[in-house]
Amino acid sequence: MSGATAETLDAVQSASGDSYKYGFFTDIEAETAPPGLNEDTIRFISAKKEEPQWLLDWRLEAYRVWLKMAEPHWAKLKVAPIDYQGATYYSAPKQDKDRPKSLDEIDPELLKTYEKLGIPLREREALAGIAVDAVFDSVSVATTFKGKLGEMGIIFCSFGEAVREHPELVRKYLGTVVPQGDNFFAALNSAVFSDGSFVYVPEGVRCPMELSTYFRINAANTGQFERTLLIADKGAYVSYLEGCTAPQRDENQLHAAVVELVALEGAQIKYSTVQNWYPGDAEGRGGIYNFVTKRGICKGDNSKISWTQVETGSAITWKYPSCILEGDNSVGEFYSVAITNNLQQADTGTKMIHIGKNTRSTIISKGISAGRGQNTYRGLVRMLPKAKNSRNFTQCDSLLVGDKCGAHTVPYVEIRNPSARAEHEATTSKVSDDQMFYCQQRGLSKEDALALIVNGFCKEVLKELPMEFAVEAQKLLAVSLEGSVG
Amino acid sequence: MTVTKPETAPWLAAFKSRVPLAHEPAALTLRRETSLNRFAELGLPTRRDEDWRYTDLRPLDGKNLTAHLSKISEDIDINSYVLEDSAHRIVLFNGHWVESLSKLDKLPSGVWFGPSSNWLKDFPDLNMEILETSEFEGRQPFTSLNGAFFSDGFVLTLDPGVVLNRPIQILHVGQTGKSGAQHLRNLVRLGSGAQATLVESFSGEGDYWTNAATSIHLAESATLHHVRLQDEALEAIHFASVRATLGVRSKYDTFTLTLGARLSRHDIAASIEGEGAHCALGGAFLLRGQQDATTVTLVDHAAPGCETRELYKGVVDERSHGAFLGKIAVRPDAQKTDAHQLSRNLLLSPRASVDTKPELEIYADDVKCSHGATVGDLDEAALFYLRARGIPEDEARRMLIYAFTAEAIETVGNMALRAYLHGHLERWLAKSGK
Repeated sequence: MSGATAETLDAVQSASGDSYKYGFFTDIEAETAPPGLNEDTIRFISAKKEEPQWLLDWRLEAYRVWLKMAEPHWAKLKVAPIDYQGATYYSAPKQDKDRPKSLDEIDPELLKTYEKLGIPLREREALAGIAVDAVFDSVSVATTFKGKLGEMGIIFCSFGEAVREHPELVRKYLGTVVPQGDNFFAALNSAVFSDGSFVYVPEGVRCPMELSTYFRINAANTGQFERTLLIADKGAYVSYLEGCTAPQRDENQLHAAVVELVALEGAQIKYSTVQNWYPGDAEGRGGIYNFVTKRGICKGDNSKISWTQVETGSAITWKYPSCILEGDNSVGEFYSVAITNNLQQADTGTKMIHIGKNTRSTIISKGISAGRGQNTYRGLVRMLPKAKNSRNFTQCDSLLVGDKCGAHTVPYVEIRNPSARAEHEATTSKVSDDQMFYCQQRGLSKEDALALIVNGFCKEVLKELPMEFAVEAQKLLAVSLEGSVG
Repeated sequence: MTVTKPETAPWLAAFKSRVPLAHEPAALTLRRETSLNRFAELGLPTRRDEDWRYTDLRPLDGKNLTAHLSKISEDIDINSYVLEDSAHRIVLFNGHWVESLSKLDKLPSGVWFGPSSNWLKDFPDLNMEILETSEFEGRQPFTSLNGAFFSDGFVLTLDPGVVLNRPIQILHVGQTGKSGAQHLRNLVRLGSGAQATLVESFSGEGDYWTNAATSIHLAESATLHHVRLQDEALEAIHFASVRATLGVRSKYDTFTLTLGARLSRHDIAASIEGEGAHCALGGAFLLRGQQDATTVTLVDHAAPGCETRELYKGVVDERSHGAFLGKIAVRPDAQKTDAHQLSRNLLLSPRASVDTKPELEIYADDVKCSHGATVGDLDEAALFYLRARGIPEDEARRMLIYAFTAEAIETVGNMALRAYLHGHLERWLAKSGK
């Protein structure tokens, strides 16, 4: 098997010479659902995961809503038709029935994969100080640091486990932020979601470490439908890291995740993402289709939700992490860097819905287009009649590298309260020749100069990332832009 | 076979019983049918259409929109709208030319100015030009409807090099006891180097519907200043679409002051086709009661080295709603584009609302494009400052609203026109004492 991996890796490198570092493919016998989507597929998934009846009913309800919905086409994206009946909706590593008790029992192939990704599952456990709930092909195989978190009452486990161990919590919050019929892709996810992460931080607890999940898409033709539910009870604090890489592949892979965040009174949630899925090759072949619904609700007064994202991968990104600011004095933040190179397309932004009094939101978005990439910021700021004295500040800047790319800004500002203030500003410009010249004159190569300038352009967002991610993100920016100048 | 939207049936029926214009050329009748078919295909817009998401068309319900207003009187009071300084003038009443009130004598040579019905009579083979807005109609079904039904309008054409120093004025007046529509079709064509200043006003009484469509063509180095005062009756509905094409180094600047109409919508689409052109779009809307006004702009840069400026100011009070949807598009070849767009709004009442959507769509890299949008109430500190100096609150608020709006009016170059707009702004403010 390791021979096959090496072969694949070699073949990939020689065929494309692509700069995608994480382009490898692990061959593990998967227990896969037959391709296609119908109620039986959903029953199969639910049975495989030994789910209770209420969850199966919930899934079926979502499926019936989905059947009546149409794919959204309002985004500035060119999407090849997606064959929903051709995809496989469930695939689990073989050890499903015989769950590993410790790391030693885990398939060595998996461990190697993690090593390449730099996931600190083994001896790096303590060193990195990160509890990792690694999702591999839809089923969680290992969760670290669980004991330590458990002592504080923090629940951090796979979604499937949460359904078994904490059904009352899951049932109470599932679908409360993103209802089944919210949108086409959220409905699809609700019907067929495979697994994901579940976090509950009890009242007054400050989670002592950054919680992190690495996602990987692996078996061919398997759409990944992650479901993440994160609840911070009164006065709790949690910082959550989500990062992902995917093996190189030729077919398009559909990914429709749903993330729901609930912040109760005085709670704070910081959710950071580095997204580095396979973007397709220079000709736009392959690459992940990433249709994600992420939304958080500041349910209680004085709560805060902060989204930070660095989007460098995927052929198509359709993603609008949003905040519903329901509690008085609640705060929503959105910091984003999105890069499109070659033929990548990104339509991303946020929604800030101000409901409570004195709610505040900040949006900082940096878009970088290179090659023939198309990058769209699409954001909504809505202040409802009761949102007295609410504030919003939005800044979106776009940087163009090369004359074949596009950068678009589509903000919606909807104000229903006179004491509310909303400000929006946006600029579009290119990397100035002066800056490039200055850097090159001091001996930097063109590519290093560009990486330096781009990092400076994104600084406001990168500084919001937790330390563990900030370093990786900076490198990612440079790798993503390779080949766009010179 | 194309699908006809069911809601368009009353208009399809009305078209059959339509009385054609006197001297209507056969080619025009054909074009009208094409326009009608396009309208039947498009149907009435809904809020699901992106360009119409902020326009609530419910005020159209129950109105007899297929009826045409007729010329019932020549005895109308236009005094408060006449611009003293204007050299020439056309008055259109309920969509029909009123010769007795118009002033068309002593037109300089190289100038054709008059009602579009006359123009069609004089140049029957040029009638296509007046209807040349097809690519625009997909966004604006009412422009297609206009093509099918227009009764009159105005045409201004200037030969190359002709410069008109004094403004030209068009007064649109609507009046009806029972609802009905006036469809106006206008054409402005300026030859290379020609210059003109155009002032349009819309006013009236009753719940009529104004549906105007204007095509503007500017040849190389031509300059058009275009000022519009929309002060329709408060029960009226006002739709106006302007489509302008800008040639090399041409200049188009336009300003609209919106004060009237229950429901109004102004669509401007400017296509910059020549290098080095300059486009300035501006406006201010002041709304109260249940008024609803939307401004939609699209500046499509298809040539390099052009400059665009947009400044729109909104003041919404009581239960009114204002919306601005602005789009700046820069095509791959339009390098060195310098475009700036700003939408600023004052929201004065808890029941009023503002929506703004300034949009950039950019496919060229060597550009300087930016936009901004703000929404908020009057500045408390400024209000306090004025009140501390003994100015009553109402008066202080009026002063601040005046100053806020005046900033946009200042972009109008012509002094007489600025005074004209200031006068109407003051008249609106005087009505606002609470």
